[in-house]
Formats: sequence, C-alpha cells, structure tokens
Amino acid sequence: MYCSIIPPYLLRRLAAQHHEPRLLVAARAAKEALQHVKSFQASRAAPVPAAPPGLRQLTPGPPQRTVYDAKASENLPGVLVHKEGEPATGDPAADEAYDGLGSTHRLYAEAFGRNSIDGNGLPLDATVHFGQRYDNAFWDGKQMVFGDGDGQVFNRFTASLSVIGHELAHGVTQFSAGLAYRNQAGALNESLSDVFGALVEQYVKQQSAAEASWLIGEGLFTDQVQGTALRSMKAPGTAYDDDVLGKDPQPDSMDSYVHTSADNGGVHLNSGIPNRAFYLVATALGGKAWETPGRIWYDTVTGGTLPAAATFTVFAKATAASAKELYGAESAEHDAVRRAWETVKVRV
Amino acid sequence: MKITVQRSGGIAGMERVWSVQALTDDDRNQWKPLVEACPWDELPGRAQAGAGGVPQPDRFVYRIRAGQRRATLPERDLVGPWRTLVDCTRAAAESLDQPG
Repeated sequence: MYCSIIPPYLLRRLAAQHHEPRLLVAARAAKEALQHVKSFQASRAAPVPAAPPGLRQLTPGPPQRTVYDAKASENLPGVLVHKEGEPATGDPAADEAYDGLGSTHRLYAEAFGRNSIDGNGLPLDATVHFGQRYDNAFWDGKQMVFGDGDGQVFNRFTASLSVIGHELAHGVTQFSAGLAYRNQAGALNESLSDVFGALVEQYVKQQSAAEASWLIGEGLFTDQVQGTALRSMKAPGTAYDDDVLGKDPQPDSMDSYVHTSADNGGVHLNSGIPNRAFYLVATALGGKAWETPGRIWYDTVTGGTLPAAATFTVFAKATAASAKELYGAESAEHDAVRRAWETVKVRV
Repeated sequence: MKITVQRSGGIAGMERVWSVQALTDDDRNQWKPLVEACPWDELPGRAQAGAGGVPQPDRFVYRIRAGQRRATLPERDLVGPWRTLVDCTRAAAESLDQPG
C-alpha cells in the first residue's frame, strides 16, 4: 500500500514548478508521486478482491490444523480430537486427515507461495467419522468432512490423499475464481479439484508426470470392487468397470460430453475432459507437473479474470493466455496447452 | 404407487437408484403417510442449489419420485420427512437385494 508522506496539495504545488529550472527534478518527482496517490485513491474506492490478483503473499506460515470427530453423527464440527502440533491420535481417519491437510498446505505454500486455502492463513479444519456408513467426503464452505465408507463399495475417505487435496482445492476455488457448481463451470470446478488433488499426491512422492498414476481416489474401493480409483485423468472412463457399479462414465473429449441434469449438470462426469487436458500438458512437457502445468493452471484460477460462469472454451483460452504470459507466445509451454485442448476437442 | 430415489453427485460421482413398489393395501398404508408427510409443494425455487442458494461441492443430489410427485433436493435439504422417506426407501430396496 502506498502512503504519501508529502500531502497531495504540496505535491501539486511542486509539480507546477516545472518552469523553474532549479525545481525541475523536484517537479518531475512530485508529478510522479501524485500519480501514485491518484491510483492509490482509486483502488481504495474500488471494492477490494478477496485476494489481490497475481499478488504473491509473504512467505506462507505453517498450517493451523484442527481435526474433529463427528462420532457417526451428522453434527458439525463434532468433538475436537487433534489440534495443530499435537501427536498422532492413533485413529487412522483422524491421522490421515491431519497429515493430508498438512501435505496440501505444503504444496500450495512451497509450489505456489499460497498461504492456505484463502491465501491468508485460513485455519484448516476437518471432521472425520461423519454419519453412518457415509460413502462420501465434501467441502461445506468452511471445512472438510469425511465419511467412513459403507464397507461394501468404499473404505474410509481419508485413505486417499488425492481426495483430501480435492476437497481443500474446492476451498481454493471458492476463494479465487468462485466457479459456479453446475454445468461446464462446475465441471471445471471439479477438474481443478482433481488436478490439485493429484498434484498433492505427486508432490508428496516427488513424482514426475511420467511416474504419476493420475488416478483420483486410489485405494478407496474395497476388494469387492472391480476398479482402481474413482477417476483417471490420464484415461477418463477407465477407472472402474464393475458388475454392480457399472462402468466409469467419464468422457475423455467433447465428442462424448454428457448432457444431464443429474449431478448439477454432470460436474463429476464432464470434469474428465479438462482433466485429460491437464494430463496431456503435463506429459507433453515432462518433469514435475506442479512446476509448469500446475503454475499455468494456478495462475489461471487465481489471476482474477476467470469468470464464475466460465465455459470450457473460456477456461482453455485463459490457460493459453497464462502460458503465453509466463513463457512466451512461441514457447513449448504455450504450444502444449493449445495442443492439449485441441486433442480433447475444446476450442481455444 | 412406485417410489424411486435417484442419488447423484458425491465426490465419486456415481449414480445410485433405490425403488419400492407399494402394491398391496398394507404397503400403501405403510408408505402413504411417509409420502404425505413431505412438503412437496414447498420446494426451494432453485431446487438444485438448495436453501442457501449455493451447492456445497461433492454433496449428493436426490431426485425423488412417489407416484406422480417429483422433487429434487440437495443433500443439505434432505431433512425431516424427506430424510425419513429416502432412508426407508433405501432400506426397503436394499433388503430386497439381500438373500432370504
């Protein structure tokens, strides 16, 4: 924030002295200072965004994690079982949630310089053992919530680091682009959660794009299920094929985009298309996916210009623009982004 | 009367459907009060969005049909008689799937 030591009326008087040779330098400096004051006053009048676009936060602090136990009820947050810095509880769900919150915080801090979910040190809260045989996990706008699974199809939902990262990423999207949770904007919202959920897993294991599984929710299924994960970013539609659950219904390009009113317009289905685009960029460029593709996607969602009702095309164009700004119009990065979207048949 | 509950959404994005048929008089006497207890005419205007107006990510969406009546509710609004109807439908449908 710019504060003027010299009051504006004095700066104006000085700036007016440009005819006086002795005061020419001072006049020029005063004129420049006045410009700063004007823009400062203008930005003060304008509504302040939740996080200034593109502004790197100061070195992120450590996470402030709290884990609660809902004890099979649906009351939130539940009983406090683990505060930041305390030793492990011995309850696998609580410990996995605590560790997963930490890993996610670390990815955002170290790879993107982001101080927690809101960029401003938001405490990270999670509730485990929500409901009875509750086969789900979600972000409620303030915290993460995890069920224990039903024991038939699903194990406990904290068992997958990509799921923990996925939920927290919904918070990041909420505090940045605020993508609406329906239709294409919702599928982008979902995809961003899969992208950053996958990156948390890859970051912890320090895996390259080639080494990564690109699976979301690996390890959640019980032995009874014929499938490896909830979703595959590498090959949407191949994560499971089970007698009872059916086949993974995700499309891998606009050719098989799903038009439905269920699931808020198919947000968990059509996310396969932008998921695959990210995977294609990551493998085209090689190396660690959080470094370049992650940076492009992160800048796109936090840059302040992505609309809440963005379509796939709007988002694709925005990623190409981010890549161009970061790496140049003729760069391999910009090229990889454009080709990825072309491959999944999204117009750039 | 046929009662069908379709659940979509959730982080897994998997669709589940539970159905029961109330065919006999006994069946209807059992299910009719559960159906009638639900405020079918008082659904939120933006049914998908829920009472608060903004869907919570990765929560379920329930589409309920009972006879000619239809309702779509986000998980957050599945409370009281709606919750009872869904839980009973699910329990009945799943018990039909279990071996005798």
